[in-house]
Amino acid sequence: MIIDILAGAVRGGTSIMYAGLGETVSERAGVVNLGTEGAMLVGALGGYAVTAGTGDPWIGVLGGALAGALLSLVHAVLVVSRGANQFASGLTLYFLALGVTALFGAGFVSRQINAFATVPVPVLSEIPGVGPVLFDHDPLVYVAYVAAPLVWWVLYRTRVGLLVRTAGERPQALQVHGYSVTAVRYGATVVGGALAGVAGSHLSIAYTNSWFENMVAGRGFIAVALVIFAMWNPLRIMAGAYLFGAALSLASVLQTAGVAVNQFALNLVPFVLTLAVLAVLGRRTLQAAPDELLRVFDSSRAA
Amino acid sequence: MLRTRTVRAAVAATVAAAVVAVLAACSPAASGASGGGAPAAASDVAPGEGATKIGVIAVGPRDDFGYNQAVHQGVEALRAEFPGIEVLDAYNIPEDDTAATTMESMVAQGATILFATSYGHLDAARQVAAAHPEVVVVHQGGLLDPAPPNMGTYFGSVYEPVYLAGIAAGAATRTGKLGYVYAIPIPQTLANINAFTLGARSVRPDATVTAVSTTSWCDPATQADRTASLLASGVDVMTQHQDCTKTVIEATEAAGAFTVGYHADASSLAPEGWLTGSEWDWGPLYTQIVRTAVAGDFVGSEFNGNYRAAMAGGENPFVASAFGPSVTDATKALVAAAAADLAAGGSPFTGPVLAQDGSVVVPEGETPSVDVIEQMDYFVEGVVGTVS
Amino acid sequence: MSQGTRAGTQPVTQDAPAGVDPPPGPTSWPSRARSATAWLPGAARWAGALLAGLVVFSAFVAANGADPLAVLADIWTSTLTQPGQFQQIVLRAAPIALAGLAVVVPARAGLVNVGGEGQIVVGGIAAAGAAMWLTPFSSVGGVLAGMVVAAALAGAAWAGIAAALRLVVQVNEAVTTLLLNYVALYSMLFLILGPWKDPAALGQSTSVELVDSVKLPVFSGTSIHVGVVLAVVAAAAVWFALTRTSWGFRLTVVGGNAEAARRAGLPVVRLLLTALLIGGALAGLAGFLQLAGMEYKLRPTFGLTIGYVAFLASWLARHKPLPLLLTSFVLAAIAVSGNSLQIGSGLPAASVNILMGLLLVTVLGWTSARKERA
Repeated sequence: MIIDILAGAVRGGTSIMYAGLGETVSERAGVVNLGTEGAMLVGALGGYAVTAGTGDPWIGVLGGALAGALLSLVHAVLVVSRGANQFASGLTLYFLALGVTALFGAGFVSRQINAFATVPVPVLSEIPGVGPVLFDHDPLVYVAYVAAPLVWWVLYRTRVGLLVRTAGERPQALQVHGYSVTAVRYGATVVGGALAGVAGSHLSIAYTNSWFENMVAGRGFIAVALVIFAMWNPLRIMAGAYLFGAALSLASVLQTAGVAVNQFALNLVPFVLTLAVLAVLGRRTLQAAPDELLRVFDSSRAA
Repeated sequence: MLRTRTVRAAVAATVAAAVVAVLAACSPAASGASGGGAPAAASDVAPGEGATKIGVIAVGPRDDFGYNQAVHQGVEALRAEFPGIEVLDAYNIPEDDTAATTMESMVAQGATILFATSYGHLDAARQVAAAHPEVVVVHQGGLLDPAPPNMGTYFGSVYEPVYLAGIAAGAATRTGKLGYVYAIPIPQTLANINAFTLGARSVRPDATVTAVSTTSWCDPATQADRTASLLASGVDVMTQHQDCTKTVIEATEAAGAFTVGYHADASSLAPEGWLTGSEWDWGPLYTQIVRTAVAGDFVGSEFNGNYRAAMAGGENPFVASAFGPSVTDATKALVAAAAADLAAGGSPFTGPVLAQDGSVVVPEGETPSVDVIEQMDYFVEGVVGTVS
Repeated sequence: MSQGTRAGTQPVTQDAPAGVDPPPGPTSWPSRARSATAWLPGAARWAGALLAGLVVFSAFVAANGADPLAVLADIWTSTLTQPGQFQQIVLRAAPIALAGLAVVVPARAGLVNVGGEGQIVVGGIAAAGAAMWLTPFSSVGGVLAGMVVAAALAGAAWAGIAAALRLVVQVNEAVTTLLLNYVALYSMLFLILGPWKDPAALGQSTSVELVDSVKLPVFSGTSIHVGVVLAVVAAAAVWFALTRTSWGFRLTVVGGNAEAARRAGLPVVRLLLTALLIGGALAGLAGFLQLAGMEYKLRPTFGLTIGYVAFLASWLARHKPLPLLLTSFVLAAIAVSGNSLQIGSGLPAASVNILMGLLLVTVLGWTSARKERA
């Protein structure tokens, strides 16, 4: 049962992890994107449609990433170039994405695609316990194992990462050194959107093999909350995403085991868990937050 | 300063006045509407008589390999049957006041027969029926007590083919563990799960059906998670009650387990593991309802109430799907025998039926009526899971 | 003092430094009122934004293989030329406006309330609960009063959770209100599929329908219930409170620069708390309106998307209560048009979300002068 929950955590947490990593990149540069939910939606449809068209799910993932990047580009234009409120813009794009995917997705509901299949890792998947939890999944789950450390490495060990973080902490410093804050923020937002698009693709072409209107069902919003409680650290995102995955999977495993728990109470677990963690970590997360983000989060910080 | 305030107040007053004007403007408009509707109601034309337009609303997309696709096929049947009648169909209509406004606009476009096809469209259907006595409104799957003269509900005995599919599932399972991924514990679903379980246990007495809920009619990611969890627990025959069925079927097929379908023939999604299923064939019933209404005979007809077609009458619109490759002749014979029994008036729920806790819910020899079955709120013995 | 008047009309966005000119637009009266021509660029900008939204929407529609002109004509005729539709729009606009006010008030203090969706649901739950418990003991007036109070208190309490998290542990309220929406939804599902399920509903998962006497009466000859007046009155009251009281003035000061407000001795915490609580109460009232005026019972889709649409409406109106009535009407019209949209052109009803989204994208981005970052 524990193994089932953990295996479910890894499966279900993967899309949240990709989205959370994307949001981390974006927020590290000082841009909050509530449109992550929308970027996941267009990513789910984009990934599905491209896979249906090309027959290759790997190209599909690229399609999903591109769709997510495009939607987030609109966000970047609005908030970076036009100074629009970040929360309002993000939620607007979520709505836009709902409509666009409903319109263009109608024809894909019944399409069958050549989706990602489960690929057990030879030898490793045979290890009792660890095997089914970590090494018996679709390829995007394995890529995610690498993605989180990679994003961490880029953010903390490369020049690009330094630029992104400086855009979020001390944009004036970037200007002093002749870099464009605007360009860095555009880049971070678009890359963040691309990762959210990959997250959506994982849902549609690896996890469920289907496209359906509004199929992301709040997972993108969870990812945004996750970034706060992971304190903008990609490695903590990884842990947090699996924790969420476990919370989601708990409902399945407990029901399967016949444990008499109310279904709706189980649905609440991931959301209440997040709120509880935020309540406990609250002040500590603020110390870890990029300075520019604090201005966005908190115009009345003096309170 | 003073000037600024005055200007501001003036603008505010203007806006307020505009709002009041807007509000006032709507009342003459509305009385015009009801005035327009009144003559039709008062005339001698029976509801739906001589209809030239029909409206159909569905809660999901027209190609979901499921419930709504079946509605769409019914719509196509209507179009083929009545070339002189225009059928307005609208999909993805949520079960809120959108349903009522959509039907209202269909009426405004001239529709005088309306089909509201989702369980949760019932209140909207009632509301529209009450506002337009000249329009026939029929609802798919609900119950009315009593039915107004221009309204009715219709459905098939869904649990009958599900019971038959349960027999095929019980014969196929090796582990004795069957899985049921359902959406929300409404009575119709509970009746299906129970019928499936009774069918399976009629041929495999130790079989259990693990029923897990997704709390949504279509949330593919949650479906995927539930399915994986069931498969990991040793379930080797999977069925479901969801609006979109693709995710569960493909995941089951990929795991090498058997699939029992629901809503539509999805054997193309599970070429190896498809056992059988239950699917809708609304065409004949839709046609019958429309014919009755167009002729002006709706009021007082069997459709002007809670019409339930069952296998006993040979006209259940919910029928068993074709068998898959692995179903043996012996199993087919078992299913055929049970089908013959149902056609002769038998019921899956003929007592004794025990609840999960072993208490008797249907005493020996008794057969609950359709109304009672459609208000079921418990699981029978052999189901693993909790209602609510 | 004149400083205060300016601040009182300033757009409140997180990154708008105090002292920036208010955006041009039909609602920014004090500075624009100086000359009639100053309205023009703003109006032109709005017209351009609307046009751009329509053009992009048309492109989407065309890309999907439908005739955009026919679709737009369809939207136009189905929403604006049919009397019944007009009433539908007004009925839908009322809760949107109330829930929009729930965004307006906190926004004045620089807070982002994305929790209208959940606050409406808990307002509806509380109103339904009050009706259930009070009906046996109380007169109609008493029941209705109880429902109103319960709905407002529940909405306020729900927003209060986010307020507490914001003020005690400084967690951003946009994120928490968003998460609380889901908690509210699942709590309602639990109730209507469990303890509150109407045994007489013949299997439908709904709460017990309100008795006829506590359903809001309609204006004679129409289907518009009197609750619509509540939305208008609330908008006027919020307008008055924000622009004519010292509380509103202080709130705006906090929203402009909290640090300065604190130094000036304003009770910042209390102001932020009241702003969110009042916002929540207004959204709770929207839940009451939806229950007593529209749906009469809780069902799984109770109040669906009203909170999000209201959020957009508030931003369209730049958080000004009276223009909010107009933007609520416009968004309600777009929502209603979605239903007839697919009857005529076979497009999914949710396609109109594109129009709503594009409208706000253009308005957010291009109806105000670019704001310089500090």
